[in-house]
This record gives sequence, C-alpha cells and structure tokens, in this order.
Amino acid sequence: MAVAFAEVRVKKLVKLYGRTRALAGVSLTLPAGAVTVVEGPNGSGKSTLLHCLALLAKPTSGSIAFGTLDGRAHARQVRRHLGVLTHASMLYPDLTGRENLRFYAELHGVPTSRADELCARFEVGRFIDRAVRTYSRGQLQRVALARALVARPSLLLLDEPSTGLDTLGVQRLVEVVRAERDRGAVVVLVTHDDELSRQVADRRVLLRRGRLVFDGEGSVVAEGAAS
Amino acid sequence: MSLVRAAFVIAAKDLRIEARTREITLVTTFFAVLVVVLSSLSFYLDRNLAVRIAPGVLWVSVAFAGLLAVLRSWGREREHDAMRGLLLSPIPRGAIFFGKAIGNLLFLTVVELVLVPLVAVFFHLELDHLGTLALLLALGTFGFVAAGTLFGALGVRSNARDLSLSVVIFPLITPALLGGVVATRELFAGAPWVEIAGWVQILAAFDLVFFGAGWLLFDALLSD
Ligand SMILES: Nc1ncnc2c1ncn2[C@@H]1O[C@H](COP(=O)(O)OP(=O)(O)OP(=O)(O)O)[C@@H](O)[C@H]1O
Ligand SMILES: [Mg+2]
Repeated sequence: MAVAFAEVRVKKLVKLYGRTRALAGVSLTLPAGAVTVVEGPNGSGKSTLLHCLALLAKPTSGSIAFGTLDGRAHARQVRRHLGVLTHASMLYPDLTGRENLRFYAELHGVPTSRADELCARFEVGRFIDRAVRTYSRGQLQRVALARALVARPSLLLLDEPSTGLDTLGVQRLVEVVRAERDRGAVVVLVTHDDELSRQVADRRVLLRRGRLVFDGEGSVVAEGAAS
Repeated sequence: MSLVRAAFVIAAKDLRIEARTREITLVTTFFAVLVVVLSSLSFYLDRNLAVRIAPGVLWVSVAFAGLLAVLRSWGREREHDAMRGLLLSPIPRGAIFFGKAIGNLLFLTVVELVLVPLVAVFFHLELDHLGTLALLLALGTFGFVAAGTLFGALGVRSNARDLSLSVVIFPLITPALLGGVVATRELFAGAPWVEIAGWVQILAAFDLVFFGAGWLLFDALLSD
C-alpha cells in the first residue's frame, strides 16, 4: 500500500483537561519519511500530543491536517492509516498474541496473514501462542509494537516504545522504526531514552508545559533537551 | 469495513474469550440459579401463588444476571485499554456497540436456556405457551442488552465504576422490565394473545428506541 500522507500538519493545537493546559498552542509539520522524536519532562504534554494525532483526544482548539485530509472531518479515513502504541498494550489478556494481532488485522481490513508476517518480523518466540496474560513485560511490549504496525501505517505514533525491552529488543525496535521511515511513513516517537533517540531521530523536538521550546536536527538537540 | 462485518468480528472475539474462560456464562448462570432456588424456597406456598410469583423471579434473575454480564463484558475492554484499540480502528463507532451487544445477547441467551426450565420446575409452570414466553423473553432481553451495553460503556472510559453504573442502568431498563414482568404475568394467568400483544408492541418499541440510541449516541458517549 502506498503511503497516504505526504505530511501531517499540526496547527496551534491546544488541549485543556479541566484547568490543566496539557498543550498550549503547538504548531508542527511532520514530514513523511522522517522520524520526529518528541522529548520533554513528565507531564509536558507528549502523550497528549500523540493522543490528538491519533484522534483519541479532541483538541480544545487548533487543527491537524493529515495530508489533504482533515482530522475531524475524515476521522475514519485517517484511522485506516494510523499505527499507535500508547502506554497500554491494548491486547486482550485471555487471547494469545497471535489471536490479538489477527483480530486487529481484521478490524483494519487487512488479511489475517499480516499477523503471522509480523510475528516472523519480530522474531517472537513460542510465547506468541500463549495467552497474553502470561507474558513478561518485554514480551507484551513487543506484541503491542507489532499491533501498531498491523495496518502498514502512514502515520506511526510510538509512546515510549522501548519500555521494558532488553538490548536485543531495543535493537529490533530501532530497525523497525528505520524500516517504517524508509517505507515513507511519518514517524513520531516519544521517549526519555537518549540512546534510542540518538539512533533513530531525524529531528528532535522538545516540549515543556505544553509548548514547543526546541525544534532541530537529530544530532544537535541533545544540549537543548538537557538545558 | 462495514458496520455489520466489524460488529461480527468484535462479537466473535468476545465469544472466543468466553469459550476459553467461561467466566461470564458460568458466574451469571450460577447467580440466576441461586435467585430462583432461594425464591422458590422462601415464596413457594401453593401452586396458584407460585404461578403469580414466577414472572417476577424470572425477570429479576434475568435483570441481575444481565447486569453482571454486561459490566464484566465491558470490563474486558478496560484491561490493557483494549477499548482504545477498538476506537483506533477504522470502523464505524456503532459497530463497537452492536458487536458488544451481540455478545451480551448470546451470553444472556445461554443463561435463559438454563433459567426457564428451572423456573418451570421450581414454580410448577406448564409451559404450554412456550413460543409466546420465548418472544417476551427475547424482546425484554434485547431491550435490556441494548440499554445495558450503551450505558455500560460509560464505565470503560470514565471514572464511573460498576456500582454507580448500576444506578444509572436500572432506571433506564425499568420500562423493559416492567413490560416483561406484566406481560409474563398475564401469559401465565392464561390471558389471550390480544391482551399480551399490546405489551409485545411496547417491548418492541423500547428495543427499537434503545438500539437506535445506541447506534446514534455511542460515538458522542465515548468522545471526551
Ligand atoms: N485524561 C486526563 N485528564 C486530566 N489531565 C490529564 C489527562 N491526560 C493528561 N493530563 C494532564 O496533562 C498534562 C500532560 O500530560 P501527558 O500525559 O501528555 O504528559 P507526558 O509528557 O506524556 O508525561 P510522561 O513523560 O509522564 O508520560 C499532565 O499535567 C497531565 O496530568
Ligand atoms: Mg506520556
């Protein structure tokens, strides 16, 4: 499937939760074929930004354009091209990992063989045919990541994807992120892991209290992020 | 993906989980049986009285079993935030409602298949109008499941927990329960079809309203 969006454009995005200003006017253009790493302290609005991009949270004001599609008006069309990994795995504990992947493949209208393809790609072990309830933290994270890729997304949103992964797991993650980028996807990755950021970032942006305070090329940003 | 197809994929997923754990059907059936047995022990005096009590016992156990089933079924979407996975999928939001409703309907059907013969035995009913009783039960269960599935979803994303939800759900399903109880009472008392037909229409109207509301309101109910 060809990549659906040439870019994703976020304009003056504001998100209020009650009196909390999670996002205070973020504008950002995310090009296809590039990995944008979002950094920032706890509570700075990173996950909120991802939720808005995933159409899970409704912005208080501002807009998001997915290529030529408007997020609000064409939600279902946009969802077809989304891949999302959040803090939770979104897997059913009583089903096996493979069954979960097949289920989501069906909901996305892709053949269930896509699930087996992903299992092979992530080199999952025999655990994939056990109930998810029995998984270790890292096994859960791997399958959750595979789940995000089920639809061959044009916009891949990853919220702290390296959580719980071992060295090999992180290496696999880096390969996958690069492969998705090279396929032409818009990739947005939230992480506190500097090493991971260094390995995949084409661009790093820094959020603080819901505002974009830094935006730069992959390698330059470390100091900006630290200050 | 079409509404119908997506709904069936979601329902099939729920059936698969249930086939593996048996959690909902076993617990709710056990609960319903308990209600029937205890009521028969405490209320049974003579045959005449039994026939008059049976409709209430039947519907009370259906209602409580149904509530348990609906809440547990939504609880499965809450673990690991699976509901979010559904919301992220490119399917009509109504498909989530219908998918969950189909699953809940089947769970309750299993419970009722055990419940009806049991009530018949314990309360000495002659089930010579089994077709009509099945119709009343089906209509009442449809309405119950529609309302319960719609409002049970509130608990998945909000902080409202099961107990407070029951407080919301019960008043809403009262019309369906009342219709069901009264119509069943008339049926057991030997009323002719014309007298029951009015209740059937009311129950059917209630079902349409709640399935329609579920379809149309589900999206609004879930967005934050
Ligand atoms: N559903 C919600 N209701 C109320 N407040 C919320 C909600 N979600 C987020 N917030 C608040 O919005 C702010 C931004 O939260 P967010 O989750 O985006 O931070 P984050 O940058 O992802 O932090 P972390 O690094 O800890 O994951 C925080 O102050 C948080 O408490
Ligand atoms: Mg976060």
